[in-house]
Amino acid sequence: MNDETRGAAGTREAAPEELSCEESLALVYEYLDGELPPDWNDAVRRHVEKCRLCYPYFDFERMFLDYVHEAGEGTERASPELERRIRDLISGETGD
Amino acid sequence: MNQASESGDDRRREFESEALPHLDALYGLALRLTGGDEPRSEDLVQDSVLKAWRSWDRFEIGTNCRAWLMTILRNTFINQYRRDSSRPSRVDFDEISEGPGAGTLYDADPEGRIFDRLVNAHVIRAIQELPDEFRVPIVLADVEGLGYQEVADTLGIPIGTVKSRLFRGRKRLQTRLHRFAEEMGYLP
Repeated sequence: MNDETRGAAGTREAAPEELSCEESLALVYEYLDGELPPDWNDAVRRHVEKCRLCYPYFDFERMFLDYVHEAGEGTERASPELERRIRDLISGETGD
Repeated sequence: MNQASESGDDRRREFESEALPHLDALYGLALRLTGGDEPRSEDLVQDSVLKAWRSWDRFEIGTNCRAWLMTILRNTFINQYRRDSSRPSRVDFDEISEGPGAGTLYDADPEGRIFDRLVNAHVIRAIQELPDEFRVPIVLADVEGLGYQEVADTLGIPIGTVKSRLFRGRKRLQTRLHRFAEEMGYLP
């Protein structure tokens, strides 16, 4: 890991016992994405669970990410023409 | 002869019944990746399904066909995207806001009420309007659920760049959703 791969709070070192709000906020997405090493993950969780400022913000970001994930799937339908074209192309490549 | 063509038909029917039910999902992913370009998305779906058909022998029945097809489509898109991505970046960083703070969506709606009120079409539009640099990592990570390392490998960029593009892209999405919510009168 080089400098470019380090998180804002230097995620490659051992996690400190206590994190500040600033340090926790810098790691919000890595935490919610499940990308932190276990000791950092625990350190962020310990801070957020007892911090009245960070807790609602982390909750908000989690709702946002869930929303993007669910809504981003979409409900568009492939056109019947596209399906027909694909079936024709597949048939054209069958059995020769 | 007859037997050979019969087994060819069986193979085709098997492919069609396994793969074609996923056309809508493939088309949705293609729209998200291309930023809503319908003709390009149709081409992408068509190319990907044909690729899948040509390597159908290598697919193990009973494993996740949808995931396999989505990966083929993703890789097909990325190959085109990398070929084209010598074009200059359109990114400007002026609208970036960080964390809690005045003017952010969190500041206006800390309980996230708008996530219940906005319809899915809003977030889809917001995603599709993002510049490529942000849209593609967001689609891969947030919609498709890939990890940072997978996104980095897929796009051929360092993991630190993935993190910063996800961060900036998500903040842009929030800014856009905030604007939608204001336009709809959901937020003052």
